[in-house]
Parts: sequence; structure tokens; C-alpha cells
Amino acid sequence: MKSSTRAYNQVQSQKTILSLISASGAKSPQEFLETLDKIGIEWYVTEKGTLMIKYWQIGAEDFVPSEQAAVIRSDRPSPDQGDELDWLSKNLPNVRGRYGGQWVAVYNNEIIAAAPDLPDLIRQIGGFDRPLISFIPAEPVVWTFTYAS
Amino acid sequence: MPVKNFEQVVRFYEARQDPNGPSVWLPLVDVTLITPANSRVSLSLLFDTGASVTTLRADLYPILGLQSWDQGVRVETDTAGGRTTVYRYTYTLEIFGKTIDCPIHLASQLPFHPLFVGLLGRDTVFNEFGFGFWESTHELYLTPSP
Repeated sequence: MKSSTRAYNQVQSQKTILSLISASGAKSPQEFLETLDKIGIEWYVTEKGTLMIKYWQIGAEDFVPSEQAAVIRSDRPSPDQGDELDWLSKNLPNVRGRYGGQWVAVYNNEIIAAAPDLPDLIRQIGGFDRPLISFIPAEPVVWTFTYAS
Repeated sequence: MPVKNFEQVVRFYEARQDPNGPSVWLPLVDVTLITPANSRVSLSLLFDTGASVTTLRADLYPILGLQSWDQGVRVETDTAGGRTTVYRYTYTLEIFGKTIDCPIHLASQLPFHPLFVGLLGRDTVFNEFGFGFWESTHELYLTPSP
């Protein structure tokens, strides 16, 4: 059997399981998620509250309100969501060499916009949710912190 | 003494500007700012127990929907560098899974740093959490239900 056919069948199987859980009457979103854990279906909840299941198909739109999504996501972030700060930390010398003296926006582990002034940067990032904003000084910062090693 | 349990970790991030330069580790918190235009941006703030109020660089004012950095309530405050003037506002932040309306100072004296644009201070924010600090592992631990 081709891998694409196998994947399709697995997704269909998981969607059938989701339907069965829904039909069984889970009392709350939390109970629904616990059931998914019990039967081994990997999942996460997007910032908008959409339930995603592996192979990351939409399991249920408007699954929880955004406030509850923030609480759930603090324990289980999206698996494909980059840690922008970690990426910036690890790539700082290169980023400073290329974008020194500019504001930058980092999203999914890449610089998606750069501009010498912040209003210009804001105009460029309108379609992105939660990009990391920072200013990259042109010259190296003189460190005076106690955590130097 | 009560037992303290911590469910989350505040990471330290390495700031090395030169591949051969010194390594500096900073406790940084990814904070989501909900802008007046209802969009969301992520700002990195230095976890600073010495800061009484969360403080952002003054030149971030356009993100806050302000025409200038000095429209808020004028406040004289003491810092490590001496007495300075800041301007006070209230904004909504998402921190560690909680949404909090908290005071924010805009300050023109904060130095540039590529990995953070302000200081996460105690006022209102710290009331919501409990913190534990382990220097040996470069980690801060926190609980959202102290």
C-alpha cells in the first residue's frame, strides 16, 4: 500500500474516532482531550481555539474560546510553532550582520520583515499572528549583566 | 514550610553577538501584547525582579497605538542609572497562559538589546504567579496557581 494511501486511511480512521467520541457525549473539551490522549491520538489547540489532530487536520473549529486556548496551549504548544526567541538567540551574529540598525519581525524561525522604523515594520506584518518584534543594534551591546560566564 | 510546585519553566537564552565573544545567559519571557488594533505581537522581556513595573522602550509607542511615547501619566521613578521620567499606561498582555491588564511604563533610558525590548516587572504581573529560581540550571520555574 502506498504511504499516501496509508496516511489517508489513517486520517479517515481518526476522523471516525473523533465522531464516535463526539457522539458518546464528552462532557467538556477537557474530557474530550483526555479521551484523545487515552486512545493515542496526538493533538494540539491553535490560538484561535481550533482542535488539530495528527496528521494535523482540523478536528473541530471553535473547539474552545481563545482564553481557554491560551491556558491549554501553555501546557501543549503547537508542534510546528517555532520558538522565535530561541532562533534569534542562536542566529544573533548573522542577524546583526545583516539587519543591524533595524527593527525585525521573526516568525516561524525566519525574519519576515525588517525596517529602520517601527511603523514601517508594523505595516509589513499585518497578516501574521504574534510575530516576535525586536530591534537589532548596529553595534555590539556592551554586556554588564551578572550572568556572563 | 509549604511545598512549592512549579508547572512551567522560564528559559534562559544565550546572547552571544560574536561567535568568539563572551556568552551571556538571560531569563527572557515571551509576552504577547494585544494592540489597540486587536492584532497581537510577541515581545521579549527580561525577567526583572528589581523592576517595580513592566517597562518598555519608549520607541515601541507605535505598537501601542500612540502618537508619541509621552502621552501617558508622567511618573518620576528611581532606576539603577538614577532618577528618570517615564510615562504610565495600561495594556493587556498574555503571559504564561494568562491574560492580564497591567501597568506599563514607557522609558527612553532603556538601552538597546537585540534579545529584549523591555523589563517584565512586578506590579500586577507577579501577583498572578509563583516563581522559583535555580541558578545552576539557568532556569526559572513558575506556577500559574500560587
